[in-house]
Amino acid sequence: MESNHYDVVVVGAGLSGLTAAGVAACQGLRVALVATGPGSFVLGSGYLKTQEILAAGPADELSEAIAFFCEMAQAAGCPFEGQFSSSRHLPTILGDFQSVTFAPRPLWNAEPRNDTSTAIVGIRELSYFDENFMAERLSDQARLLGSSCTYSARQISLARSCGAPTTTLRIAKRFDYDAGFRAELIEALRPAAAGFVRVLVPGMLGLCSREQQIAQFESELGCTVCELPTLPPSIPGLRLFHLLSRHLSKLGVELLQGFPVSKLQIQDGVCMELEVASPGHPMVLRGECAVLATGQHSSTLLGVDCNGHDEQMHPLTSSGSVMAGNLFVAGTALPGSSGSSGDVMEILTGHRAGSFAAATRGHYAAR
Amino acid sequence: MRQDDFAIDNCLKCSVCNAACPVFGVNAQYPGPKQLGPELERLRLEGISADTEWLEYCLGCHRCDMACPHGVGVSEMIAHAKAKHHKPLVRGLRDWWFARPGLLGKLTTILPAISNFALSMKLARFFMSKVMRITPLRTFPAYTKPNLRTPPARTSEDRARLLFFPGCFIRYNRPDLGRKVIELLERNGFATEVAATECCGVPAAANGDAAQAHAMARANVKSLVAGVDAGMRVVTACSSCGYMLKTGFGGLLKDDRELAPAVQKIAASTLDVGELLIAQSDAGMLNTDFQQANMRLAYHAPCHQKSQGIGRPWFHLLRQIPGITIEDLDAGCCGMSGTYGFKQEKYKISVAIGQELFDSINASQPQMVATECATCQMQIEHGTDFKAIHPVEIMLQAYNGKII
Ligand code: SF4
Ligand code: SF4
Repeated sequence: MESNHYDVVVVGAGLSGLTAAGVAACQGLRVALVATGPGSFVLGSGYLKTQEILAAGPADELSEAIAFFCEMAQAAGCPFEGQFSSSRHLPTILGDFQSVTFAPRPLWNAEPRNDTSTAIVGIRELSYFDENFMAERLSDQARLLGSSCTYSARQISLARSCGAPTTTLRIAKRFDYDAGFRAELIEALRPAAAGFVRVLVPGMLGLCSREQQIAQFESELGCTVCELPTLPPSIPGLRLFHLLSRHLSKLGVELLQGFPVSKLQIQDGVCMELEVASPGHPMVLRGECAVLATGQHSSTLLGVDCNGHDEQMHPLTSSGSVMAGNLFVAGTALPGSSGSSGDVMEILTGHRAGSFAAATRGHYAAR
Repeated sequence: MRQDDFAIDNCLKCSVCNAACPVFGVNAQYPGPKQLGPELERLRLEGISADTEWLEYCLGCHRCDMACPHGVGVSEMIAHAKAKHHKPLVRGLRDWWFARPGLLGKLTTILPAISNFALSMKLARFFMSKVMRITPLRTFPAYTKPNLRTPPARTSEDRARLLFFPGCFIRYNRPDLGRKVIELLERNGFATEVAATECCGVPAAANGDAAQAHAMARANVKSLVAGVDAGMRVVTACSSCGYMLKTGFGGLLKDDRELAPAVQKIAASTLDVGELLIAQSDAGMLNTDFQQANMRLAYHAPCHQKSQGIGRPWFHLLRQIPGITIEDLDAGCCGMSGTYGFKQEKYKISVAIGQELFDSINASQPQMVATECATCQMQIEHGTDFKAIHPVEIMLQAYNGKII
C-alpha cells in the first residue's frame, strides 16, 4: 500500500472532521486527517446545548452520532456527561445559565443544586476572571431559576509559582507537567474550599489532563472541582482537541497538521488527489474518498463551490449533480449552515459523512 | 501555515499558538508567539521600536505556525524581528560564532585532535562558561576531518543522479554519516554527488545574524543551481537543512530578482532522504533486501521535520524492516534547537522543554531512539540514558544484517 494512499482523507480538525475521522478509523480504515489547526470549537466550552439538540433533526441518527462521539471522548480520556432525556443549567462566561444536555465532565457539576453552597474561586493574578461578578450574577440567576443554592466569591494567589499577571493558559500548562505546582494549587485552594461542597474555578485544569488526573486532583483536595467557561483561549476546548487528536493518532489516523489543502483534483466525477501546500513542493494524498470538513470559508477556496448536498452528503454542483461520488461534506462547510450550526450539528454531520465515506470502501479502489 | 502571506489581520488572537509554544509552557515570563509575532508586528510595521530580549528566546521550532488555525506565519515574523534585535557585546560575540558552525568547523578541522582536546579542556570550558556564557554542562560534538567526497562514478550503470546537501554537521562532525547516506542511496539505485555547499544558514538565522544567513543562502544557491537545472534532485539528511532549502532559504532571497527563480527551483527539487525513499517504496522500488532484525525503537519527529509538511516518512520506512517495532513518541519539542541549548541563560529552559520527551523515552524503554536531527540526538542523549541515532544508520544496518 502506498504510504500516501488512504481509504479516507478528512480535511479539517473541527468536531465534524474529528468525528468523521473517528468513524472511519473505528471501522479499521486507513485515515489521514489534514488540518491547519484546530476547529473553532476550541474557543468554546464543549457544551452540547439542549436547544441545538432539539433542533438537530432525526432523533435516531442524532442519538447514534452523539453516542459515538461520547464513546470516542471517553476513550480519549475526556468523558462527556448527560443523557438525551434530561438537561441541566450550566453557567456561561456571561454569568447566566444555559440549558445543556451533554458537557465534558469537569464542567458538568457546576449546575445550581438546591440548598448547596459553592465557592467561586478567582485568582488574584488572573485579571480577566472576576469571581465577585460571577458569584453575584450566578446567585441572582439561580434565584430566577427557582434554585436555593448560593455562590460565594473567594480569591487565592498564585504569585509565588506563576508570577503576575498570568493567564489560564499558563496555569493549565503548569498543571500538566508540574506535580509541584498541582500540590501548591491544592494548598492554595484548601482554605478557599473550606465549608463548601464544591469549588468552581475558571477553566484551567490542564491542556492534556485526562479524567484520572483531574479526579486525582479533586480527591487530594477532598472537594468537587468544576471548571467555568472563560473567554478564549478556552482550556476545556483545547483539552478536548488535544485528547481527541491523540486518541485518533493511537487509532492509526495519520495527523497531517500545519498546512492547508490547496487543491482537489476531480476528474469524471471522482476526486483523485488532494494537494497539501507544504513548503517547496506539495504533498499529494490519494484517497478512495475524501471528507471536506473545512469550515465555511475554506471549501470555496478549494474550488468546491458547494450548492447543496444530497442525502449521502455529496456536494452538488450548481446544476444539481453530484460533484464527485467519493467526496463528502460535513460541518460548516455545508451550504446554508452559515457558520453557526453549533457543535451538535458538527458531530451529527461529521458522523453522517464519515459513515457514508466509510461505506464507499472498495468502490473507488486505487487505479 | 500559509506560505508568503504575512497579513497580520489573519490573526484573531485566539492564543492557539501560545498553547503550542514550548517556551511559553515552561517560562512564565516569555510573552509567547501571539505577542512576539502578530501583536508586536503592528508596532514594528508602524516603525515603532518594539525590540525585546525575549525575541532571542524563540526556538524557531515553527510549532506556533503549524498550530495556528488561520495560517499566520508567526515564527517568521519573530525571526525577522530577531534579526534586528540588539544584543549586548558578549552574547553578540558568542552568537556570532554560533551563527557560523561552518567557520568553526573549518578552523577546528585543520587540526581536529588539538581542537577537540581544547574543547574538552577544563580551562577552556571554564573560559567558555564564564566569558562566553556557554553552558559547561554540555559536551560539544567532536570535530573531524571533513573528508566527505563524491564516490567514484560507476560507469557501467545508468543511475539517477542526486545532489547531496550535507550541511555543517555531517560535513564537519559526522562525514561517516554522510557516507552512509550515500551508501543507502546507492543500494536504492541512486548515484550521489556531494554538493560543494556551505552551512544552510539555519544557525545564522536562529542567532539573529541575517547578513550571514543571507550570504550562506546566496552561496548555496549558486552551487546548487547548475545541478538542479540539469534535472538533479537535491537530498538532505538534516531536518533543518531540508526546511531551509524547501522554504527558499527561509524566504531570505525572495526579493532577489536574480536569484529568486533559482531559489524556487531548488525548493521544489529538494527532498529529505526519507521522503525520497518512501516515494520509492510507494512506487514499489524500495530495496527491501532487509535482514531479519530484532529491535524495539522509539521515534522522535524533529520540529523541522514536521514543518516540512511531509508526514512521517522515516517512521513508516523503519516499520517496513522485519523484526523492528517502533513507537512514535509524539512528545513535543526536544528543546535543544541547535545552538540554543548550549547558551548558559537558555540551558534551563532547553532542558525543561525536553522533560516531556525524556519522560516518554524513559516510559517506552526502547533499545534506541531514532531521530533525524543531530541536535535532537544530542539533547536526548543529554537528558536520558538512551542512545539516539539517525534512521539512515538503522536502515543501512538492516541491509547489512547488523541489527541485534
Ligand atoms: S497567530 Fe494564529 S494561533 Fe496565534 S493568536 Fe493569531 S490566529 Fe490565533
Ligand atoms: S517558533 Fe517555537 S519557540 Fe518560537 S514562538 Fe513559535 S512556538 Fe514558540
